[in-house]
Amino acid sequence: MDLELTDVQQELASTVGRLLATKYDAAARDEVLASEAGYSESMWSQFAEIGLLGLPIDEDYDGAGMGFAEVAVVMEQFGRALTLEPYLATVVLGAGLITAVGTDEQKSELLPGVAAGETKLALAAYEPAGRYDLTRPGTTASVSESGVTLTGEKSGVLGLGAADRLIVSAAVDGGVGLFLVDPAAEGVTIDVRTQADGHKAGSVLFDSAPATRLGEGDASAAIAAVIDTANAALCAEAVGAMEASLKMTAEYLHTREQFGFPIGRNQVLQHRAADLYATLEYAKSMALYAKLAVIENNPDTRHRDVIAAKLVIDDACRHISQEAIQMHGGIGMTMEYPIGHYAKRLTVIARTFDEADALTAELAEMGGLIEARAADLQAG
Amino acid sequence: MDHLLSPEELDFAHQMREFFRTEIPEDIRYRQAIGQELSKEDIVTSQRILNKHGYAVPNWPVEWGGQDWTPVQRHIWLEEMQLASVPTPLPFNTAMVGPVIATFGSQELKERFLPATANIDIWWSQGFSEPNAGSDLASVKTSAVRKGDKYIVNGQKTWTTLGQHGDWIFNLVRTDPDAKKQAGISFLLIDMKSPGVTVRPIELIDGGHEVNEVFFDNVEVPVENLVGEENKGWTYAKFLLGNERTGIARIGDSKVALARVKAYAAATKTSRGTLLDDPLFAARLTKVEAELTALEFTQLRILSTQVAGDDKPDPRSSVLKLRGSMIQQDISELMMDVLGPQGIDFVDSREVPTGFTTLPPGAVDAGPHYYNYRKVTIYGGSSEVQRSIISKALLGL
Repeated sequence: MDLELTDVQQELASTVGRLLATKYDAAARDEVLASEAGYSESMWSQFAEIGLLGLPIDEDYDGAGMGFAEVAVVMEQFGRALTLEPYLATVVLGAGLITAVGTDEQKSELLPGVAAGETKLALAAYEPAGRYDLTRPGTTASVSESGVTLTGEKSGVLGLGAADRLIVSAAVDGGVGLFLVDPAAEGVTIDVRTQADGHKAGSVLFDSAPATRLGEGDASAAIAAVIDTANAALCAEAVGAMEASLKMTAEYLHTREQFGFPIGRNQVLQHRAADLYATLEYAKSMALYAKLAVIENNPDTRHRDVIAAKLVIDDACRHISQEAIQMHGGIGMTMEYPIGHYAKRLTVIARTFDEADALTAELAEMGGLIEARAADLQAG
Repeated sequence: MDHLLSPEELDFAHQMREFFRTEIPEDIRYRQAIGQELSKEDIVTSQRILNKHGYAVPNWPVEWGGQDWTPVQRHIWLEEMQLASVPTPLPFNTAMVGPVIATFGSQELKERFLPATANIDIWWSQGFSEPNAGSDLASVKTSAVRKGDKYIVNGQKTWTTLGQHGDWIFNLVRTDPDAKKQAGISFLLIDMKSPGVTVRPIELIDGGHEVNEVFFDNVEVPVENLVGEENKGWTYAKFLLGNERTGIARIGDSKVALARVKAYAAATKTSRGTLLDDPLFAARLTKVEAELTALEFTQLRILSTQVAGDDKPDPRSSVLKLRGSMIQQDISELMMDVLGPQGIDFVDSREVPTGFTTLPPGAVDAGPHYYNYRKVTIYGGSSEVQRSIISKALLGL
């Protein structure tokens, strides 16, 4: 049994970690945060240069042909540095869906651009009325001789604003289809919003907007799969952000003095910090669990295992982000000090794609993780 | 877990699974599976079968019956044993005094005690805690004064689990009253049939008799019953307590208990269906399932780094104790809630007089077990002690 990172993965982690430590410190990040675009084009190019953008893309399309294990390594580093670039939107969701359902021609057209850092993507699948449901889009596609057009509204579109191409879900042929849309096309209206964590997202109105079908057939399963992958990626990112938060909080407990001694000498704070440590260990374990589920990709258990992981991690995000602010006291409330930024990202992660209560209900409905069995009851 | 194992490890797991489910008597495993209290005879029978096949003391040195297993194999052995509802070997023998004698005892002590200890020909009791030495164990006061070739022992031990079955007791005794707290302690083996030893039961809130007080009144103990060196007992005790934390997460046991809660909940009718369909109950249950998975993977992650060559006890095992005990309590509480009104009475049996309705499965053990399991966050280093270890060793506070 070996659950440790491979040498290649460790090398990847330290390469990304070094880059972010030198180029993405709190001051640099503050500048990115205040910029109009909300991410750094220069960092994006450097991500492309060291191969991060093509990491999971097939070598036939100029990618590195690696797997989710490597993506998770990158996401954890991103979580530690709290990067703002639309990596999840472009590489995990966008390139992931094109790889899953696109035609060879579409892959050739789009994936090399993603790997090179020239093309950004965004998935427009959620809708204002649908909460976290992706199975029944109100957006419709109409097909005529002159082509396909889309009509409807999407919300929670991660990476909106930066995206060169949108991947839009819509009702078609009694199922769900995916469509490529140019965000600058006529009939497309974009409302970019800034999330609490600084990431750009937003809503899109489609009014008979011109579109091209991405692949063919019903895309429901592909969408569900890519969301599982993205959730597992968020688990890894959350672990990076939580580890950084706990480290920062422990340092603060060491250095902040009140009543003439470091506040970390108070047993009440020591014990609460120990609980945070235990919570972080659970989160690391479940990020690993989600990663293994995505890699194994067993259709019977993948979704179940990913949501089990995400619900534990959502709870961990809440526990660690809330306590980190509390233990910092007033300084934790300021935009000047980093801990609040971590807390905001963790709060957003716990509400991205789903939230813990809904996941708990869904996991229960799926029968949970352990089979009911009692020696003194007849089976069934 | 199977899919994480190497082919050799998987073979080993199958071998263990097969062994536990065929060699250990079905009736003992059944009683363990449904939460019945096991008799001394059940525990002895089961351990002797394990010992006959070399599976009672795998953590001991090979020359004394141990196995040259990896940490992962030891984990598989314990997990499969628990999943098969085989009672674990008596920890006082196999995890506590055995390894101490094997590591620090003289050749004579080893020959005299180890084979009998592995085979449970001697039932050992633990004489560590005292009324004023609980979490602060180094405050023990029970004294052993050397007189010629004997120690004269006076004092009182408490929380001696299953001491009513004990043949021998291993003790922390104070041999140097003038030395600093930890420095004057020795590790002494005492025959419980010696004149002056009295065992008194302590009745617990679960209605049972699990622990005892043990009194020593001028008990004469031959000096050759000293383990290792005089006044070095604290070192041996720390070694022993480190072993005690291994496997303390009891993940296999919790899986069996949770599967049982779920099966009973599915068979419990409510006004809206079964209890398993009740959204609030299902949510609580499901969270515990997810947390148990997190606990298991935390254990596996720790094992995975041990394989990589680090054999020191990992301070993260405090996380396993802290969270594993919480989960055991959560499960015991879920079981109480499954029984609902029928978990309130203390009953000896599900049988009732003719004409009355038979009590449901779990009616006998759910309540006592819930009260009994208040202990798991107290023994083996209380949750508060674990939090202090974590904040010092892992966060540097």
